[in-house]
Amino acid sequence: MTFSNSNFPDKEGFYGEYGGKFVPETLMYALEELENTYNKLKDNKDFIDEFYKDLSHFVGRPSPLYFAQRLTDHYKSGSIWLKREDLNHTGAHKINNTVGQILLAKYMGKKRIIAETGAGQHGVATATVAARLGLECHIYMGAEDVRRQSLNVYRIKLLGAHVHPVDSGSATLKDALNEALRDWVTNVDDTYYIIGSVTGPHPYPMIVRDFNSVVGKEVIEQSKDLFGKMPDAVVACVGGGSNAMGIFHPFIDIQETRLIGVEAGGEGVSTGEHAAPLNDGTPGVLHGARSYLMQDESGQVKDTKSVSAGLDYPGVGPEHSWLKDIGRAEYVAVSDDDALKAFHEVTELEGIMPALETAHAFAYLEPLMKELDSSANVVVNVSGRGDKDINTVAEIDGIEF
Amino acid sequence: MNRLTSKLQNLKENNKKALVAYLVAGDPDLDTTLDLMHLFVDSGVDVIEIGVPFTDPIAEGPTIQKAHDRALKNNISLKMILELVDKFRETNTETPIVLMGYLNTFISHIDLVQSIGENSADSILVVDVPGELNLQTYGITNPNINTISLISPTTKDDRVESIAKNSTGFIYYVTLRGVTGSSNLNIEEIKNNIQKIQQYSDAPTMAGFGIKSVEDASTLAACSDGIVIGSSIVEMIADESKSKEFGRIGEYLREMKTAIS
Repeated sequence: MTFSNSNFPDKEGFYGEYGGKFVPETLMYALEELENTYNKLKDNKDFIDEFYKDLSHFVGRPSPLYFAQRLTDHYKSGSIWLKREDLNHTGAHKINNTVGQILLAKYMGKKRIIAETGAGQHGVATATVAARLGLECHIYMGAEDVRRQSLNVYRIKLLGAHVHPVDSGSATLKDALNEALRDWVTNVDDTYYIIGSVTGPHPYPMIVRDFNSVVGKEVIEQSKDLFGKMPDAVVACVGGGSNAMGIFHPFIDIQETRLIGVEAGGEGVSTGEHAAPLNDGTPGVLHGARSYLMQDESGQVKDTKSVSAGLDYPGVGPEHSWLKDIGRAEYVAVSDDDALKAFHEVTELEGIMPALETAHAFAYLEPLMKELDSSANVVVNVSGRGDKDINTVAEIDGIEF
Repeated sequence: MNRLTSKLQNLKENNKKALVAYLVAGDPDLDTTLDLMHLFVDSGVDVIEIGVPFTDPIAEGPTIQKAHDRALKNNISLKMILELVDKFRETNTETPIVLMGYLNTFISHIDLVQSIGENSADSILVVDVPGELNLQTYGITNPNINTISLISPTTKDDRVESIAKNSTGFIYYVTLRGVTGSSNLNIEEIKNNIQKIQQYSDAPTMAGFGIKSVEDASTLAACSDGIVIGSSIVEMIADESKSKEFGRIGEYLREMKTAIS
């Protein structure tokens, strides 16, 4: 293998100066065990076959790369293609990762599954794969998110998993992650922790990226088939950054493709009320990794703000921080208002209701399509579908059921 | 010699066990923390561990998490904590002080950490840095500060060795799989593991996490160089934070001291 920008992390789990394993000592052995297992299995034919078989028969892969005619007409320039992760089983890209990690749990003989969730998509995806294997499953979710995403909470419960609302701190995704880590410290012997994004201590950012990178690999093949070359730009929303990392990673060495990550601008990056650490943060250590972080001058992690629960996170995966610093990917931010506008626009123009997270990626088409050549092919990663957000959007629009 | 090192050496030479007591700086307020530190010393505490509050303390159970939250409402920063230590040192130059916290709060104030003088805090314990990693990597090279690493029941033998060699203050043996304030100590496992640590290192080994009763204290002190008490004190501080009548804490610490003597 050549030493390129796409074969990080290094042995210690660093992407440049980002990443690493910053965890309480009790978890070190569990991370080592996971790393050893993964390194052994990732080139094992039986394991790979089982993973791809599940992706095709249980998840429904490959997901289409769909030409968005009316959206393209709307911008009067370029061609817009949608990578339809919203069509996956459970409605988002999250299932790619959980299908892979539950296989690791199975190979490791773990009987108990835990996970954190923000928007609830990862909670649903985890509860789904745990149900399929008959494993005990506990989902940690911020109390504020439990309120915002009540539909997904019920879905998780229907799947037989236990939902633990987390009241500490800001009662959102970061606090759910804290609580899941505390559970893992306590039950480390029999428990597998399925982290839902490319965050957390090494080897998680690598494992979650690898399982999700099936998305980018498919896009490369589909682009060849559908328009005979590589896309000019790939656009994806970034919270922790797993859907973006999954579609970006296979493109890292394909220099002609611009990689654009869209963060949650909340009320606007200049107001400080947002969840855009790559745009307005500084490097720090949270949840086991060094990465860009929203923090104050004392190193305390700031509360974030976003209309989208899945992007409402003060940190970001370490590989994104590194891609930003080396200039291989660009990271922009989109406000709540613009994301909501895009949510309605895409729903009406394409008959596809994107998740509010995904709507951030769509909102960036407005400036992007003006800037690009009229022959440009742009791929938007439709990371999830928007059914789960109907209550949030209705509330904002002043509609009561 | 570093105040902590010499204190622990002194105790060992006299065949005594160390009583290490924890509180969170600024819970309920900094003046009270200062009073409590003096109360600790008057009640027989040998080493004071000051928790540096952090928004995301992943190794803490609910009791200490809430104390961090209360302190953060008072906007407690590392700068204020070092000023608190200076005030304490005006009347006490004997008792070693350990700052216990999370990496992000220390590296955000690396200038402050580097400028800690001889008559201030003596040691730093960073909960979320694996023991075999050197704090020097993160810019903490102050010769006045020694470092404390954690070893847990899940630490494998090869790592026990490298961690033990990296600890210049003492080795903190985490007595259970869990967060601070949990229960269910496995005494046999603890004894065996501390013995193993002592094969690799001459540094004193303190036992901490989940020690609540005098029975726990006495049993664990017998197989270690001392014990760390945290959550049970923090809970008493929370209970009495309005009245500020902390007599019960003094009593509890004296009982613990007797139990380990």
